Amino acid sequence: MIARRKVENATPQAKAGQRWPRAWRLAVIALGILILSSCRGPAMPGPGMAGSPADGGTLPPTAFSGPGFVAQAAGDDSRVPARLPGMELGVPVPYTPAAPWQPPGIAGPWPPDEYVCDGGNAGPPVRVGRQYDVHGLGVEDTVAHFDTLEGQTLVEPSNRVCLYSPRFGAVRQVVGVEIDQQRDRATDVHLPSRLAAPTTSQQLGLSGQKVQPVAGLGMHPAEALRMRQGDGALSSRIGPNGFDNAYRSYENVAVIRQGIFIEAEAPFLAKGVQAAVAWSHDQAVQIILDHQAANALASTRKLQETYTVGSLPAQPRLRLVKVASTPFAEPGDEVAFTLRFDNVGNQPIGNVTILDSLSGRLEYVAGSAQCSRKAQFSTRPNEGDSVLVRCELSDPLPPGAGGVLRFSCRVR
Amino acid sequence: MVPMPRGQATWPRFRAGRVAGNMTVILLGLAWAGTLRAQEAAVHYLHHGVMPPGAIGQGQLQRGGPLPGFFQPVEIKAPPGALVSLAEGGGFEASQAAPRRAGLLIGSVYRLRVTNIPRAEGLEVFPTIEVIDRLYAPLGQEIRFAIPVELTQEDLEIALGGRFVTRVIYLEDPHRALPVASEGGQMWFDVGPSRDPLAVADGLGRPVAILRMGGRLPQAGRDPGFFFGSPPWIACPPRPATAKPAKAVPAKPAAAAPAEPVPAPPGAPEKAQP
Repeated sequence: MIARRKVENATPQAKAGQRWPRAWRLAVIALGILILSSCRGPAMPGPGMAGSPADGGTLPPTAFSGPGFVAQAAGDDSRVPARLPGMELGVPVPYTPAAPWQPPGIAGPWPPDEYVCDGGNAGPPVRVGRQYDVHGLGVEDTVAHFDTLEGQTLVEPSNRVCLYSPRFGAVRQVVGVEIDQQRDRATDVHLPSRLAAPTTSQQLGLSGQKVQPVAGLGMHPAEALRMRQGDGALSSRIGPNGFDNAYRSYENVAVIRQGIFIEAEAPFLAKGVQAAVAWSHDQAVQIILDHQAANALASTRKLQETYTVGSLPAQPRLRLVKVASTPFAEPGDEVAFTLRFDNVGNQPIGNVTILDSLSGRLEYVAGSAQCSRKAQFSTRPNEGDSVLVRCELSDPLPPGAGGVLRFSCRVR
Repeated sequence: MVPMPRGQATWPRFRAGRVAGNMTVILLGLAWAGTLRAQEAAVHYLHHGVMPPGAIGQGQLQRGGPLPGFFQPVEIKAPPGALVSLAEGGGFEASQAAPRRAGLLIGSVYRLRVTNIPRAEGLEVFPTIEVIDRLYAPLGQEIRFAIPVELTQEDLEIALGGRFVTRVIYLEDPHRALPVASEGGQMWFDVGPSRDPLAVADGLGRPVAILRMGGRLPQAGRDPGFFFGSPPWIACPPRPATAKPAKAVPAKPAAAAPAEPVPAPPGAPEKAQP
């Protein structure tokens, strides 16, 4: 009775509220949460907006470092609500950016649309068939495959090298008064009564042009089908051009010169590295006794190290390191790539073949490939309308041996 | 129909279940709302190329990120002989020969004056540039990799003819970029009047700037709206004349030099490979 009396004495709004479906009330709550969570305040103009440096003067050193790096200039404090300690007028903020802004938690390079990358194996793993047909080699991939003494064909990708090379395009639209007049006349009442309407619908020439996009032809080049026909048909064999024995400035790292990975060079190499785990020096042969790899026996009982030569399990392994001559390039610039390959396993490997499928933004400079070992070069078109550079070593690669492959590309 | 009274024995359980259900809905709503920001794509769903100058850039500033206060370097290119001047202080600065580079604020609209146009000397065009996004160039390379804004001879003549030209400059997606060289100038596409150039540019890459030209002349006397408030900008040094480096790898004749081995890692057999 008490409950019934409460219901009868309730206000009309309360009665109406009780008649609301429960799902409707829950939907109102969810909508309110969504609206409250989506509200954002207007962006606060940064301190860099203050003052007008448009007097043609010198460039402030931190003008392009983003907001918040320079304190507010004197005499204009209308855009900064409060000044924290250490941000007094005219005093630069002590923090100096060591790198361009990058969202936290995202691996570089960022943003990816400003970089042209080459190397590694980004897509599905590359597989080599029995007839040495390569599957899964995508654009921008760089791998090497080799044969082991057991008859296996293994694939080893290189690291990834990225160049900062943004390229721009434009979309143009031209409008005028004449176009507006045409739109107004499209609703003319005389049109339905004229026999010219069927004539208008017979103008199929415009539709024919729409189904012939030129861009579609470029996205599906015929080279993709030609590649399935195997090597030789389109391959243009290039004779080895010898090897320029002088190292270049960007190759001044021990892993390129001597094939030794030094920890101190890790930051330099880590600029475009995604396969640095394969460079760890403990995976290479450290001690050679009688031309055989030895392993170290560590013991806590004696202050000595004992090296033994025994029959280690077969560990064929190839290390492929790729570096570029510059970290940034503009369209038209020429960039040299160097690939250092080393047999870091404990048995000889044969049929070492290095494949580099260049990005569509890179144009191979004909005749620029050279290798420190006897090798055969060839190029053929790839899916990205660039070329696939192929370098096959003529001789097997014994343990501990290595070499250098160079070629140049022009940035499109 | 008389509403049924709630039983005293079942009411606590029913009330607790309703509260738990409401709390679940609230938590789900909060969790879903928290992911909205991460799912935002960098496209202009609510923007159109026909929006007034400044609207798209201000919308970009509302989306957050390190955009406010950043002076994005822009390189303004024009036909040989043309002079370009930027607005400052309610007027135009002294004209300078193109190309020239300047740091422009994102979201602001900059009025230009182009004079001494080839084949149209004595006429003036007043384009506007609106930077709607920025680049994240390596430190020290910001000016070198400026956004190119090209005032072509054709566009200038179209603007002089009384029509309105809109150019949306976008950053190409390297995975979808046309595999052709672009040394002859910026590649561009024409879209018809029924299409949105901003949406087309969104599909091709990341729009970074909008150039508008034609259809507006300064009124006689004071016309503050013509200059969009004369936002500040930074003068950048011009591009050096010798920007292209020398050829990196000289081509050698075939079989001119024998193959030389590269020093092997220490511990390798001393027998050199052929």
